[in-house]
Amino acid sequence: MNWFIKRIGQGLFTVFAVATLTFVLVRTMPGSPSQRLASQIREQQPNMSTQEINAMVAQRIGVDPDRPLHEAYIEYMVNLAQGNLGESINYQEPVFDIIARALPWTAFVMTISLLFVFVMGLGLGAVMAYREGSRFDVGSSLIAIFLSSVPYYVAAVILIYVLAIELSAFPLSGRYPSDVEPGFTLAFVGGALYHAVLPAASFVITSWGGFALGMRGNSIQVLGQDYIRVAKLRGLTDRRIALRYVGRNAVLPMWTSFLITIGFMFGSSIILEEIFSYRGIGYYMFDSIDNRDYPVMMGTFLVITICVIVAVLIADMTYGKIDPRVEAGGDNEAY
Amino acid sequence: MSTHEPTRTNDARTHEVADPILEIRDAEVVFEMDRGVSRVLDNVSIDIERGEVLGIVGESGSGKSMLASAMLDAVVDPGILSGEITFHPPDGEPVDVLAQDQEGIRELRWEDISMVFQGAMSSFNPTMKVGGHFEETLKAHEYDVEAGMERARELLADLYLEPDRVLDSFAHELSGGMQQRALIALSLVLEPDVLVMDEPTAALDLLMQRSILALLEELKAKYDLTLVFITHDLPLIAELADRLAVMYAFELVEVADSDSILSRAVHPYTRSLLNATPNLDAPLSEMRPIEGSAPDPVNVPEGCSYHPRCPLADEECVSQDPGFRPTHTEDHLAACFHWEEASEAIPFNIEREVNDE
Repeated sequence: MNWFIKRIGQGLFTVFAVATLTFVLVRTMPGSPSQRLASQIREQQPNMSTQEINAMVAQRIGVDPDRPLHEAYIEYMVNLAQGNLGESINYQEPVFDIIARALPWTAFVMTISLLFVFVMGLGLGAVMAYREGSRFDVGSSLIAIFLSSVPYYVAAVILIYVLAIELSAFPLSGRYPSDVEPGFTLAFVGGALYHAVLPAASFVITSWGGFALGMRGNSIQVLGQDYIRVAKLRGLTDRRIALRYVGRNAVLPMWTSFLITIGFMFGSSIILEEIFSYRGIGYYMFDSIDNRDYPVMMGTFLVITICVIVAVLIADMTYGKIDPRVEAGGDNEAY
Repeated sequence: MSTHEPTRTNDARTHEVADPILEIRDAEVVFEMDRGVSRVLDNVSIDIERGEVLGIVGESGSGKSMLASAMLDAVVDPGILSGEITFHPPDGEPVDVLAQDQEGIRELRWEDISMVFQGAMSSFNPTMKVGGHFEETLKAHEYDVEAGMERARELLADLYLEPDRVLDSFAHELSGGMQQRALIALSLVLEPDVLVMDEPTAALDLLMQRSILALLEELKAKYDLTLVFITHDLPLIAELADRLAVMYAFELVEVADSDSILSRAVHPYTRSLLNATPNLDAPLSEMRPIEGSAPDPVNVPEGCSYHPRCPLADEECVSQDPGFRPTHTEDHLAACFHWEEASEAIPFNIEREVNDE
């Protein structure tokens, strides 16, 4: 149990460090975001006094440029702790609301992608291992190596060109059909899935190869283990050996790369969602950089970091559950 | 190397026993390799008597593990096993092991003939509890799981383990000796008639080796087992085994009662092997390693395969295979032209105590 508390503590500290870093970035970036905001307001409303402008800036981004650094820092952190990420300059609404609306869409595309990457990668990798040296194995390995070397954004552009523009088989952009009311209706969910196909496919096509090759290597190693031979002699069915023996033991080391992929996908969502004009968290981050919407930038940066930290934390805590040899904390006795 | 004829004929050299549980005839295992055919088991024939403990002894790479695998038709791919292996169940018709279809061999293994491998740790699935191995084995063979688990508990208790604790543990939570005993229990859970053990004590310390041998004796009596025990440690197995078979270069070179082997082995290899074994009673200076090294399975010497290392070898040994022949007694078989001279040429460095005679 101590181990869990320690691990969560570490996670919280990382969040704190990232928040501080965000604050420092905002305060020290050349051309200071708060100054830029102040001058923007001054241009729009020349009659305002400096104090009024500073107060507005403080309200917008949670940073008052005239206050001493340490005071401003404490207030920013207190706001953060209350879930107040400031207000968007561009959209004139709380950053928190924007993120709360965008994040589920990113998570939606990511979940679909991860599911396919994992199933395809592990499945094909295992089959390749079982048929090691066959034409299927060699062919798949080559394809896997080739596709993993293609950047996901290049795949995205090609997919858009071929499937969306040339063939018009999939929508070019957006999250759901514009003529459908959001809600838990078949049309909406179906439409959302339809719109998610291309972004997800860009991930899946370029990421499954790494998993397949990893799984192939692990499976070949496991297949050579004595316990596989013993299991065969004990008369277990091939299906049970494939799933409970080869699969289970070969998947374990993949768990870590699975998590790294989650982090990687959050990062790549920035470019990918921009390419597809898919209004997820990455889209808003890109958009905020474009529009110098610093509060949104800070907020999205922070939220993406927190998501990655949480994913790693979950993985860390579940590893002991899936691999009995790695006890998280350890209640079991060894004799 | 492409043409290889069986160098010994079958019938004359096999010591036939009255009530064999396993009959092995001309068992041969070959691996096709780039540099030639690797013959890792060369026309081995031997009978195993119901209820006996047969020790198969040989140095590393002498083919003893292949012989063990052959008894369950479990030679690893791409090895090809040929010959004839007949299993005689306690009641019912003899079973031709090598002629079984997939389902037949699946039932034969573990239900009739079971096996314990060396390295118990690597014989368990690391992500499954020990108890799971027992359950899935019972299910795979359509045994009654509840009764089977009851038997498993009894077996574990017979092996001086705490059944519930062991069944609820992962292999890595048990010590080496506990794992090995748990593996023995697992191999007996379907009540086989024959238990083939391939170096089951190799990874254990001396005390644990002794206690496992003692336990095996108890188990054998309680469950009516026939044991085939494969080891490189001749003195260790000599106490447990009724009969010993010594292997050299993928063939049997001497088969006899344990006592007969220990007191008056006639094959020069067996005698040298005994002299090469450390013994508390003999000073270290008396230990004699066997000069030279074991032959390459692709290129086994012509004639008697031991001739390059044998002090008694002459031209006959180089050109002709000696073949199995009775020596002192009808039951003491050895493959050597010069068996009568062996005891003088290679004297034992210690006198071994023999129980009977």
